[in-house]
Amino acid sequence: MKAAEIQSTKGFTAESSELKESRPYPPCRAACPVHTDVQAYVADVAEGRYTDAFEVIRSVNPIASACSLICHHPCEQQCRRCGVDEPLGVRHLKRFALEQATDYRRSKRHAVAQTKGKSVAIIGSGPAGLTAANDLADLGYKVTIFEKNPTLGGMLSAAIPAYRLPRVTLQEDIDDVLSKGVEAKTNCEIGKDVTLAELSSKYNAVLIATGLSLSRSLNIPGVDSPGVLLALPFLSDAAYERKVDLGKKTLVIGGGNVAIDVARTAKRLGAENVEMVCLESEEEMPAWSWEVDEAVEEGIKIHYRWGPKAVKASNGKAEGLEVVKVTSVFDESGRFSPKFDQNETMLIEADTIIIAIGQMSDFSFLKDSAVKVDERGRLVWSQATQMSSAPGVFVSGEVVTGPGSAIAAASTGHRVATAIDLYLSGKNIEAALVSDRKDKINEMPKDIIQKLAVQPRGKVAHIEPDARCTSFIQFEAGYDEYTALREARRCRSCGAGAVVNQDKCVACLTCLRVCPYDAPIVTNKAEISPDRCQACGLCVPACPCQAITMVGYDVNAIRNSMPSIIGDKGAEPVIVAFMCSHYAAEKGASLSSNVRKVRVHCTSRVDVHDMLSAFEYGADGAFIVFCGSDDCRYREVYPRVKMRTELAKKMLGATGMDPDRLAYFRTGGEAGSDWVKAIEDMAAKLKEMGK
Amino acid sequence: MKSGSNLEKVIKSGQPAVTAELGPPMSADAHEVIKKANQLKGFCDAANITDCQTAVVRISSIAAAYIALREGLEPVMQMTCRDRNRIAMQADFLGAAALGLKNCLCIAGDHQSFSAAGRLKGHPGAKNVYDVDTCQLVGIMKKMRDEGLQQGGDKLEVAPKFFIGASWTPMGDPIDFRPYNLKKKVDAGADFIQTQGIYDMELFKVQMEKARNLGLHERTAVLAGIIVPKSAMMLKYMDSSVAGVSVPKELIQRMLKAKDAAGDDKKKAKELQEQEGMKITVELIQQALEIPGIKGVHVQAIEWESAIEHIVKAAGLYPRPDFSE
Amino acid sequence: MIVGQQKKFDEIWEMVKGFRKVMVLGCNTCIAVCHAGGDKEADALASMLKIKAANEKVSMDVSHGAIQRQCENEFFTPVLEDLAKYDLVLSIACGVGVNFLSARIGKTPVYPGVNTQFFGGVPKPGFFEELCGGCGSCVLNLTGGICPIARCSKSLMNGPCGGTNKGKCEVSQDIDCAWFLIVERMKQLGTLEKLFEVQPPRDWSGSFHGGPRRVVVEHLRDIEEKQ
Ligand SMILES: Cc1cc2nc3c(=O)[nH]c(=O)nc-3n(C[C@H](O)[C@H](O)[C@H](O)COP(=O)(O)OP(=O)(O)OC[C@H]3O[C@@H](n4cnc5c(N)ncnc54)[C@H](O)[C@@H]3O)c2cc1C
Ligand code: SF4
Ligand code: SF4
Ligand code: SF4
Repeated sequence: MKAAEIQSTKGFTAESSELKESRPYPPCRAACPVHTDVQAYVADVAEGRYTDAFEVIRSVNPIASACSLICHHPCEQQCRRCGVDEPLGVRHLKRFALEQATDYRRSKRHAVAQTKGKSVAIIGSGPAGLTAANDLADLGYKVTIFEKNPTLGGMLSAAIPAYRLPRVTLQEDIDDVLSKGVEAKTNCEIGKDVTLAELSSKYNAVLIATGLSLSRSLNIPGVDSPGVLLALPFLSDAAYERKVDLGKKTLVIGGGNVAIDVARTAKRLGAENVEMVCLESEEEMPAWSWEVDEAVEEGIKIHYRWGPKAVKASNGKAEGLEVVKVTSVFDESGRFSPKFDQNETMLIEADTIIIAIGQMSDFSFLKDSAVKVDERGRLVWSQATQMSSAPGVFVSGEVVTGPGSAIAAASTGHRVATAIDLYLSGKNIEAALVSDRKDKINEMPKDIIQKLAVQPRGKVAHIEPDARCTSFIQFEAGYDEYTALREARRCRSCGAGAVVNQDKCVACLTCLRVCPYDAPIVTNKAEISPDRCQACGLCVPACPCQAITMVGYDVNAIRNSMPSIIGDKGAEPVIVAFMCSHYAAEKGASLSSNVRKVRVHCTSRVDVHDMLSAFEYGADGAFIVFCGSDDCRYREVYPRVKMRTELAKKMLGATGMDPDRLAYFRTGGEAGSDWVKAIEDMAAKLKEMGK
Repeated sequence: MKSGSNLEKVIKSGQPAVTAELGPPMSADAHEVIKKANQLKGFCDAANITDCQTAVVRISSIAAAYIALREGLEPVMQMTCRDRNRIAMQADFLGAAALGLKNCLCIAGDHQSFSAAGRLKGHPGAKNVYDVDTCQLVGIMKKMRDEGLQQGGDKLEVAPKFFIGASWTPMGDPIDFRPYNLKKKVDAGADFIQTQGIYDMELFKVQMEKARNLGLHERTAVLAGIIVPKSAMMLKYMDSSVAGVSVPKELIQRMLKAKDAAGDDKKKAKELQEQEGMKITVELIQQALEIPGIKGVHVQAIEWESAIEHIVKAAGLYPRPDFSE
Repeated sequence: MIVGQQKKFDEIWEMVKGFRKVMVLGCNTCIAVCHAGGDKEADALASMLKIKAANEKVSMDVSHGAIQRQCENEFFTPVLEDLAKYDLVLSIACGVGVNFLSARIGKTPVYPGVNTQFFGGVPKPGFFEELCGGCGSCVLNLTGGICPIARCSKSLMNGPCGGTNKGKCEVSQDIDCAWFLIVERMKQLGTLEKLFEVQPPRDWSGSFHGGPRRVVVEHLRDIEEKQ
């Protein structure tokens, strides 16, 4: 039974998102270059609303599927759960949500009318170019992408190995963009097949998003020997399944992520022995630690703190690399400035040596164009306008920012699209293009951490090293639904909590008294500390002035949608079940259709009003399903909401209805599904009572 | 003589005074008053006529007191602060005095919520008055008698002459304040004091000593209150639930023994307990009268007025002094 | 603050049932703080009325709202006209609000949804306690800051009476004897002797018993009205 089959109210409304924008971001969202509303989609996942989750993700990220596999997830590094146990599995959840929403996603693709009557040429189809194309198409521009490679996607397509990013997955992102009516010309290199000047004359604006398409090489003896390769051409050959000759023993020079990709690719291409050598120590190595671990698992040996000195070759064949001991990599002020001990050298044998020490831009296509490149080989541009020295020619992505992450490149794509739109609308770009840096809330206070239960992070399975190295098969599995739902519930909804409308607050102190986390401070009026608030929502129904709203959800959502929740009443008694999403998503689905299932993030958010509104709109019964205390993500919810429910029962009784038409049930932990039976019993009883 | 009442005379004479209690009926039946008055007549110096005790509606204290007076029993009318404001109270004093009443006990009165505490419906929804409290009421009476002035200051051609009494709960909370509580009533003008029922004589002695230290025994006549126990159950109830009353274990034991002696015979058990109750009362009276500063006893046989004769006789307090000319 | 409690729903229904267009009007001041008549309670009561009306097959249009204070003109200014459009305004402010609105709304009746109780404090969450009798002539200096008028069931000025039982009032075990508290507090303050003096009968004319009261702060009056 799929969770997605359960109906429920959608917590987010335009109104609350406006409030959201005015508040400091949770660190995950602040850290994400495109400011993905992590907690929003994680909450959607927690409640089984996978398509909603997709919408949240896709609204800011045109390379969402790629990111769900290869993003370096700065959100996770910043996650406030780190203080409690481990960061939330944000990337895994993204993958899960996107996979669940695949059909929906495909069904949503459609062309966007080109209302603007203006056209934009985009050079390069990497994250930056694709994102800009996406946004400009949405704005109504006619967009054409020029890509020298046979496929779209930039490095995602031409370099990142398929065992990490299967191309079918990437294709979902690309198809989204293309479906909007974006035209793509592949195998079309600007500077060779078409000139920049031609583009400038044909299009109203041009975007250069050519990334870093050249690999840096080394200036050491023997580097020209056969058997010495460069990273990008090597990866590109692998990506396009062109034949690569590898010997028995491959040595990769470099300690970054690209080097790791190269080494692991070499392994998969059949090199028996793959080793790496880098200047840095294990701790200093720039590659992500998890990638290093995965490489080591695959039997790749890493020589730390050795610098390349010369390639040894004989008979037109490379035989190895002579390396010299590194004594330090950074100087006192932390700048890259390696020092060597020339007395300590060694030879690492290898018949193939691949240099993966960095990428750089290829500006050959700018020759004789109006776009200037400075004496140090850097493209001249303005951050404030995203424009190059040539009017109407814009830049974005790594071609100007230098190496970074795919999502960072995508974020510049958004920015440049805005800039182009401003330019083409005749507006001042500089004035309107604002910085997208956001304030974020602080770390979780120590005393709050102590109040939070430790819940280990959901793990994903990897194919065993031996098995995964034989091909480019995707090595990492995604979450199953069970794990995803649990993982999603680990999110603390940082910064999504309570905000007091000061005009309404009468400083009655109720919020302060009910809050289990001491988040409200009441002096003249109540104020709620976003650092402390856990967004449980307990205070909202307690406020006698309805002065508290929540950043993360619309506090009136349940009541407002009650008529549609109840819908047409059939012959059977209608029961509205407010179910803690912990269980609702999994077990609630088995309930018969006369039970209207309302998933709630936590029952703490169900107000007396919500309960009464069920009856107001004609329900015959209502039911609150609490989670067991052990796995409730908040504190004091059960006793508090139980009191609230008792009150609602009394109120219902006062109106002359049988108070037993409103009942509650507390699940006894994960195993218990007695409440499903309890609701069925209630239905039977109501039927006896004559609805 | 302040009032010239019999009670005042007995006290003045230095002989131990005996007062009893007469509870008027919950109906307009004068005979009930007459019957009780005759049971008490001759065995006490004066009898308190309760003023709607436990806030239950009964024949008013003044009316019942007048009936008793006609029967030859000197009444002590009672006046609670619960039911009347100062206007009604003073008007009633004038009327009572005009009818020949000479003693009055001032009390706060049980709260109206008591009226529904037992089996009765009562009037728990009544509005109480408490325009003045006991001390203030005592002061008003004194002012009327001694200065010939109403509380508001208007003159009285003929002042009501009352022997003014007030109640005292010597062992109530806060116990160390109770002697001062007494002092305030005396300061206000209480000529005599009737105490709450006493079973714990030892503790009462301590409180009396404190009162003596304040010199109160010289300024007022303290009559020790003795409530005649009817059963072990009653004693237990008084011990646990009645404010300012604690009953020593031995007394309860004695009653229980009397009860057990009757075995299953309920009637007999009642009889035996009543006998024991009277015996205890007599002992208590004798112990009380030995306490320095005690000028008499206030014996309350609630709804059992007939017991008084036997008790007074057994205590050697019979016959009562006679000051009639 | 003023403490009140919502009336029993049955009583409210009896009052309201004959009206077609009903406004439940809350007051976001004292009565909100005691969770009897603020925005939220207005909302909930409206819900209950709707449920009841539906069950009783009575057609009734129920709205709800709240204003900051139902005891001042200015807060009514923006809503008065609208309120007059209803057949009934069920005010869940304290009685002051009901009086106040009733005098201003014209032909529309204003009914009370709350029983106004007392001036109280909040010693702990969910508890509201009567602490002042509003007697018009404060004596707290004589009684250790404990009001004998509001907190003694007999409003004694020379307490305690004989009913004090283990520090509790004879009226109920749930009520502290004010005079017990007064004596203890005066002891603590070292001013017990103040209690040895007999307090004379009070002048109640400054309390309600002198007829409805009014306080005029001269320097705040409307200049025109004053002239
Ligand atoms: C091996 C490797 C692994 C990586 N792994 C990760 C990872 O795990 N996570 C992550 O976040 N990032 C990763 N990155 C970085 C990420 O791929 C880049 O940050 C991102 O692709 C940069 O996007 P971009 O749009 O600026 O440029 P690119 O992706 O480089 O796209 C530029 C495009 O322009 C095209 N182009 C260039 N010149 C011309 C021309 N003259 N005419 C037409 N087309 C032209 C190129 O062919 C290319 O397709 C990795 C990069 C590499 C190389
Ligand atoms: S707990 Fe959730 S909201 Fe908080 S930082 Fe982590 S992912 Fe973001
Ligand atoms: S509960 Fe509402 S009215 Fe009371 S202090 Fe908090 S925000 Fe203000
Ligand atoms: S009760 Fe919950 S939502 Fe309200 S302030 Fe406290 S933690 Fe935040």
